[in-house]
Amino acid sequence: MNAPRLSKQVISLALVAPLLLFLIVFFALPLVTMMKSAVSDPVAARTLPATARSVSSWNRTSPPTVEMQAAFVADLRQISDDQLFGDLVRRLNSAKSGFRTLMPKTRKAALDTAGSIDLVALDKRWGDISYWQAVSVAASSKITDRNLLAAVDLQRDASGAIASVPADASANKAIMLRTFVMALTVTGACVLIGFPFAMIAASVDGWKRQLLLGAVLLPLWTSLLVRTAAWFILLQDRGLINSVLMQSGVTSSPIPLIFNRAGVIIAMTHVLLPFMVLPIFSVLIGIPKNLMPAAASLGAHPVRAFLNVLLPLGLRGVVSGSLLVFMSALGYYITPALIGGAKDQMISSVIAYYATGAANWGMAGALGLVLLAATMILYAIYLRLSSERETSP
Amino acid sequence: MNNPFIRLEEVSKSFGLLTVVEGLNLEIGKGEFISLLGPSGSGKTTILMMLAGFENPTSGAIWAGGKRIDSLPPHRRNMGVVFQNYALFPHMTVSQNVAFPLKMRSLPRAEVKERVGKALDMVQLGSLAERRPSQLSGGQQQRVALARALIFEPEVVLMDEPLGALDKQLREQMQLDIRDLHRRLKLTIVFVTHDQSEALTMSDRIAIFNRGKIEQIGKPSDIYDHPSTQFVAEFIGETNLVWGTVKSMEGGTARVQLPAGQQVLVETATDLGPNSKVCLSIRPERIKVGRREAAGNNITAAVSDIVYHGDHLRLIARSDGQSLIIKTDRSQPTLSIGDEVQLSFLSSDCWVVRP
Amino acid sequence: MSVLRFSKLIFGSATVFFLIAPLIAILPLAFTDSVFLNYPIPAYSTRWFVELFTAGVWQRSIINSLIIGCGTTVLATFLGTVGALGLRDKQLSLVLTTIKTVFLLPMVVPAVVLGVGMQLMFARYALTNTYLGVIIAHTVVAVPFVVVNVLAVLQGIDRRLEQAAASLGAAPVTVLKQVTLPLALPGIVSGAVFAFATSLDEVVLTLFVAGPNQRTLARQMFSTIRENISPAIAAAAFVFIVGTVLIAIVVNFSRGTKRAKEVR
Repeated sequence: MNAPRLSKQVISLALVAPLLLFLIVFFALPLVTMMKSAVSDPVAARTLPATARSVSSWNRTSPPTVEMQAAFVADLRQISDDQLFGDLVRRLNSAKSGFRTLMPKTRKAALDTAGSIDLVALDKRWGDISYWQAVSVAASSKITDRNLLAAVDLQRDASGAIASVPADASANKAIMLRTFVMALTVTGACVLIGFPFAMIAASVDGWKRQLLLGAVLLPLWTSLLVRTAAWFILLQDRGLINSVLMQSGVTSSPIPLIFNRAGVIIAMTHVLLPFMVLPIFSVLIGIPKNLMPAAASLGAHPVRAFLNVLLPLGLRGVVSGSLLVFMSALGYYITPALIGGAKDQMISSVIAYYATGAANWGMAGALGLVLLAATMILYAIYLRLSSERETSP
Repeated sequence: MNNPFIRLEEVSKSFGLLTVVEGLNLEIGKGEFISLLGPSGSGKTTILMMLAGFENPTSGAIWAGGKRIDSLPPHRRNMGVVFQNYALFPHMTVSQNVAFPLKMRSLPRAEVKERVGKALDMVQLGSLAERRPSQLSGGQQQRVALARALIFEPEVVLMDEPLGALDKQLREQMQLDIRDLHRRLKLTIVFVTHDQSEALTMSDRIAIFNRGKIEQIGKPSDIYDHPSTQFVAEFIGETNLVWGTVKSMEGGTARVQLPAGQQVLVETATDLGPNSKVCLSIRPERIKVGRREAAGNNITAAVSDIVYHGDHLRLIARSDGQSLIIKTDRSQPTLSIGDEVQLSFLSSDCWVVRP
Repeated sequence: MSVLRFSKLIFGSATVFFLIAPLIAILPLAFTDSVFLNYPIPAYSTRWFVELFTAGVWQRSIINSLIIGCGTTVLATFLGTVGALGLRDKQLSLVLTTIKTVFLLPMVVPAVVLGVGMQLMFARYALTNTYLGVIIAHTVVAVPFVVVNVLAVLQGIDRRLEQAAASLGAAPVTVLKQVTLPLALPGIVSGAVFAFATSLDEVVLTLFVAGPNQRTLARQMFSTIRENISPAIAAAAFVFIVGTVLIAIVVNFSRGTKRAKEVR
């Protein structure tokens, strides 16, 4: 590479630098922070340093040693910050219930007496080896795969092996499955409506095409909240749809359309339909107009001409559109949150719940990581397909 | 050239692995109109881009007015450029376009106004000063582009196929207009084109480009009458190429034997050794039909095709396996296909070209 | 054939109806006199528009949306335009191709995921519950639209125009100011409009990053629908829809007249 070309490259890099820097700091870094929160587990290791040292030589099956107990008591005496102590209790309790009462009791005893304490005498739960296992696991490492495993309904059992959580405690797999099914349903609905619609739009011209495309673009340009609000109002028990149905005598009592799956699917299909129509339309419009007459002149029946010529060509648009719709649907939050009931919440709602409701950043991060990974894989496929189209028209 | 104004010294340009210009030397005098002529991809436009400063040579040096300019950015070179698609600023009016170079030179407003008026009058566009370029015809846009490139009195004007987008009639008018401007304003013009008749009409000198090198450079008549290579002979005008073997050489005249055994006399400046193979170029309009030329070469041939062209006839004649094109006027006695004709040409109209 | 034509007509009209009708159906409800969002409308009034523009929470949220929208537009348009200038070559090196992909990623990453990350990270630098924090969050998702729009226009600019300007004596900065930017202006403006619209409509990141003081119009609409739906929503929707249609008409009209001028 010679000098002028190099300097051109340098100028280009200088121009993209501000935005790149901005996105690294305010886009990439938050995502990294979220991922780190999924695996980071520093509380116990920070608050129980002496315990961590003494459990390192423990085999986790024999009864707890005297040194471990002494180290644990010493650590407890060092914790002066109540909030930090609260975090520790929450952390331990999430691994084994019982710590919520056990820990304050033990801390009180440790602060009240100066010398060594017989913990088993204080509370016989300290004689149960599984409590010590929980402390040991929590204190010995600053990172954990707990959240990631829990995100897919797995956990480590007492021996450290990965196992499924009991059926009654598992929820995430069901939510992921539901998210997947709902996104797939919306994608299917969009294909069924969007493909024929795009074909009609490509087959007409003049004001008819303007009207059909305008009908797609207007909702796309309209605020998402406005569209969701519109559906909310329409789908209510006393909304327009139900009043029309009742007045025309189709039904005597309102059909439940809101806070259920049907409402969410209808509204999401409406919101995402443009993302299906536009890619298909742009592919169809690129197909030379004389292809169908050409097929006909070669003796193909219109149906065969469609099946053999237009459909295979249009299919590329369907694939891109489906990927776009499915990818967007996976991460949808607003529409299910407003129009869906408790049983129609998708993975985004669960992430939002863990983050804002339960302040469980570990779980929010772990589920977020799953969603992010799924989206990125789909996007990579989409990019691959669209770059292939560019190189081989 | 004693005192060239522009000098290119061993200039090469490559894009990656592709070498577009290779070790090129060229001198251009002040006030000269030189055309760079060649097929597309021959490097002529790249030379222009390097003169203008849009591309930098990979190696070599470019001098203008005694200064080395090859590392100077375009805006400090003071060269007017006229582009093929005119490159008028679509967001400015005609007068703003023409005023642009003067504003860049921070001239006082009154002077800018006066000079823009004069420049537009010069190209007869005074009445369209407030129009946008998109509201003008191709020819009008072309004249705005000329006015804009000339108004700041650049030392050199570079033109990149400026007439390529115009129709034939307008193109011929503009050729005369540009030649007239060149004479009146004593401009130095480097003119890139792939249209040979344009180059022949307008230029003081023509440089024929082929594969990044200059094949031949000289006055239009020199190039046409005495092409130095087969490429030039074929690229400029139309020609018959005939291969033969040198039999003998006497003074400036060689006796060349054609494959079928006929012998022709050829005038040449270079000394040709006996038995060397040579390529001869004979222009179709120099071959006379139905006449014997005592001092020249005479061949008999059979007419294999006659094509009517309005102002002239073209005959295709075959003589011992060699096909010849002949351009002749219409006053010829009527010929028909299959007739045997007598062809003659002077030894000075038969020119040896390098393959 | 007529069966095909007929079914095309029916299907096309039904889909257009599905797409447009919901938006039209809520327009009259903005003028209801009742506190319910039901048809038939008992009496017409403009009380909900008055509520929208005078009630404390709504007024505050409109002002917040304008502040944050303008901040986002300025920041995203600046960063996006400069970034697009660096990516305009049609033959990009591998590094720049990668950077271009990175620039478009915020459009793809699920908002909730980004929101969780932003809340965690912004809290560390005291950016949560601040206008700056919300503006930054909105800029992240708005900037790809600016890049896409500006890039599309830049790649349509004939490089020879800039070469011509340089040959006429314009220094690189002057070429940028006098030729490149004026020609790219339509793309910059539509990028800015997109950026503003994105900010106006953004809810999810706002939920995670903004505090009660930065409650935007979209955020206010979200909680109104969620908590106690009122016709003020229909009034807000009316303003949004009418605004969208007006902008679409203006954009189409200006494009149309421009084209007409060029054809002449």
